[in-house]
Amino acid sequence: MVEIENYSAVYQDGNHSLLALDRVTFSLNEGYITVLIGESGSGKTTMANAIMGLLPKNTVTEGSIRLNGDELTHLDDDSYRKLRWRTMAMVFQNSAAVLNPVQRIVNQVAEPLIYHLGIKKEEALQITEKKLAHMSISSDEMFRYPHELSGGQIQRTLFAMALILNPRVLILDEPTSAMDAALKAFMISLLKELKSKGTAILLITHDLDLAVKTADEAIMLYLGQIMEVLPARDLMQTLFHPCTVAMCRSFPTMDAVRDLGGMRGDAFYRYTHVHRLSDGKTEPHVHIAAGADREGGHAPILGCLFRPRCTQAVEECGRTSIQLTQAGTHKVRCVRGGIVDLLQLKQIKKAYGRITAVDNASVSLRAGEILTIVGETGSGKTTLAMIAAGAIEQDSGMRTFKDRTIDEWIKNERFSFASEVGIIYQNPAESVSHRFTVYDIVAEPLHIQNKSSGAAASKKRSGTQNEEERKKVLNALTDVHLPVEPDFLMRHPHELNMGAIQRLCIARALVHDPVLIVADEPTSALDPSVQAKVIKLLLNLQIEKGLTIIFVTHDIGVARKISDRICVMLAGRIVEIGPASKIINEPRHPYTELLIDSARGELIHFESPKSEQSVSPDGCPFANRCSRRVGKCLEMNPPCSNVQGQSHLFWCFNPVVLFSYDKKMRTDGEK
Amino acid sequence: MKHNIFNVLIINRWFVFGIILAVLLVIVFTAGAWFSRYDPYNASFSPLSPPSARHWLGVNDGGMDIFSELMYAVRNTVLFGVLSAAAALALGIFAGLTAAWKGGLTGNILMRLSEVIMSVPPVMIMIIVASFMRPSAVTLAFTLSLVSWPTTAKAIRSQALALRERMHVRAARDMGGTSSYIIVRHLLPELFPLYLIGFIAKLRMAVFMEASLAFLGLFDPARKSIGSMIRYALQYYYLDVWLNWLIPPVVCFSLIIMSITFLAISLEEVFDPRLKEI
Repeated sequence: MVEIENYSAVYQDGNHSLLALDRVTFSLNEGYITVLIGESGSGKTTMANAIMGLLPKNTVTEGSIRLNGDELTHLDDDSYRKLRWRTMAMVFQNSAAVLNPVQRIVNQVAEPLIYHLGIKKEEALQITEKKLAHMSISSDEMFRYPHELSGGQIQRTLFAMALILNPRVLILDEPTSAMDAALKAFMISLLKELKSKGTAILLITHDLDLAVKTADEAIMLYLGQIMEVLPARDLMQTLFHPCTVAMCRSFPTMDAVRDLGGMRGDAFYRYTHVHRLSDGKTEPHVHIAAGADREGGHAPILGCLFRPRCTQAVEECGRTSIQLTQAGTHKVRCVRGGIVDLLQLKQIKKAYGRITAVDNASVSLRAGEILTIVGETGSGKTTLAMIAAGAIEQDSGMRTFKDRTIDEWIKNERFSFASEVGIIYQNPAESVSHRFTVYDIVAEPLHIQNKSSGAAASKKRSGTQNEEERKKVLNALTDVHLPVEPDFLMRHPHELNMGAIQRLCIARALVHDPVLIVADEPTSALDPSVQAKVIKLLLNLQIEKGLTIIFVTHDIGVARKISDRICVMLAGRIVEIGPASKIINEPRHPYTELLIDSARGELIHFESPKSEQSVSPDGCPFANRCSRRVGKCLEMNPPCSNVQGQSHLFWCFNPVVLFSYDKKMRTDGEK
Repeated sequence: MKHNIFNVLIINRWFVFGIILAVLLVIVFTAGAWFSRYDPYNASFSPLSPPSARHWLGVNDGGMDIFSELMYAVRNTVLFGVLSAAAALALGIFAGLTAAWKGGLTGNILMRLSEVIMSVPPVMIMIIVASFMRPSAVTLAFTLSLVSWPTTAKAIRSQALALRERMHVRAARDMGGTSSYIIVRHLLPELFPLYLIGFIAKLRMAVFMEASLAFLGLFDPARKSIGSMIRYALQYYYLDVWLNWLIPPVVCFSLIIMSITFLAISLEEVFDPRLKEI
């Protein structure tokens, strides 16, 4: 119905011009809900206003907006006025300011009926009352003035106003920002109803939950550019662009189990102006207002806009101009094709003598992701993590890191691999030498790689420290919020508390600026308050530095708080792996369910082993303890199955079908 | 932690006695050597003269000044001990660390070898070597170190094996630390108590050994040693010269051994619980 093609908009602002939209192309279709997401200032509302022809007069625009094939950008005010309300309607964001304060709302809502259709006032008021009642505004409230209504009521009034002429195109700008949860549910059903009637809807929201529940297609805007176009159901789950990932990680849904993340750095606006170069040519420049990291605040025209805040930016991101490219069902604007796979483990096997520690485990890890490996003691989780970190060699299987084979990498360039991966160990006090000072502990990875470490050490004694080394150490200490006073640097670990030592270990792991952090039960030796601090610290580091973290823990409660994905291990095998929210809320493997239920302190179906039947080595490792066991569980290992359309894998013949929540409801009902 | 060790040591009675004794002995013998005006090999005095203002401890049967002789003898004996102990320690550390780090065949061979050596009494080997080959004192000191390294090597190896699995050592290895880095920065400092105890024990053993061999007459008879002094003095024990000839070297020897023993006891008391704790 509405097609937007290569549409750019530049706001004039004194000497500057603000580039609000940059060659945006998309379309709104009948019975189709498109959602625009993005931070404030990303151009969402500008887009809506542009479609409605409501941009300020001095705005410079380019490209076309077509309604059923008719160009809208050249229309004069009168023709536009005829279109508005009848064909296209909009619910504005700043609700109260839109209404006339001296008119009763019922009169205001009836106005389009009278103006556009020429219906008599009495009749119009009747239609209006019906419409308002449909929006659950009582007959008493209809005759109030806008200032007598609450924010939610005003929002619904505006809705009624926009829908009164049954427009074909509806634009909703942050419809739910003033609504409580119950009204939001009402809004969702309303949107679905409109959708079934064939209305083309453009939803502008930062409420991703609403987007997932109602929309068909989601468009991620960043500084006026489309970064990713994706099916809306993939939001919160399968995302490609780092910008979308950061956005979704920041949003609190009911499902989300992880602590909220965020996007690092600050948003800024894009200013364009024209510079005259020395050779007489002119070249338009894009200015980044808050981009102090660039000389003169000039950003090159080329390159990705998200680069300064992106956690996986490479040099190439700044060089080429990047187009939206198709990636599966998504379209992504990223040189690297979205978030890259950082680490891949394929069919890893490792045995210590007769004991199999890891059996045929395959995991892949995307950049900037936190994967938690949970499982009981001896399930091989530490071994798997250490194989990933390059600290242990596997017996068979492939491991690649940044598309290079780890084994070869270690063999040829031990040091360069060691700088890519930082390891945090279980027991902080044990993992540092008590003879080292704080400075020596953090500088140790540098000393190891610096061949003249002996010379450096002797230099230090004479008081002239290697400046670069010192800077790195102090940065790492600042990152983990430890003091950097000379007095503190000369302390020994036994003078510090456990939490400080663990942060010291984190600083040591960070000093080379690694990409991957492998943390082996980093908090199990800490008391809860210190543990909370360390976890917060790791999460913040993850956001700021875009670290990829493999977190090993036996505590599913901790795993729940920090992970993007959870991998459940049992007897060396991965039994279930998937997005954290799915694993926690809808576990499929009985063992995962057992872990979660025991963590909740309610063993719903714990039974003593059914029989002492021996499980063959090929059988499911959980077979003997499993209440859902079927015959073949004893003989063969279940194949991998996945929950439809999701990256949630499990290995079970007879998976848990009812989710704990439903199950509880049912048992309560039976009582 | 280093300052803590000293704090613990200073309140240990054995250590205080031992160190005071050792310091006194060092002062007495350095100062004494300064005061002894005679060449110990100068045999021009009248034999068996009693102590006098000129000869504080008298003159022996060969016409030599006993005081000067004693000064030289103590120095020779102690130097022999230090040399042998140091060499044994170096060998022990090297063998122990190699066995721990390399493991496998090398480690096995080293450990079996050390067991073979430990099963043979060192006195026997020393007597055989000294009597048949008649080497110089320095060579003999090294020979002694060749038979006394295994105990240190075994202790070092077992501690190094335990240390190797310690988290901070594993961490250093995961960070890409080379063997030499880990040994120098992590293992050697941690093993410090072992060297100290090992050195003191070896010193005591070597001093004793030197005195015994000299007493048996297996050294060059012309070499001044506490053992040989006692041996010669014993031949005249029926005369009253034993007072000034026999007693001084015996007392000196006892004091030296006592001081070393006290130090050894104190060090073991202080370090052992810590070693177990590790």
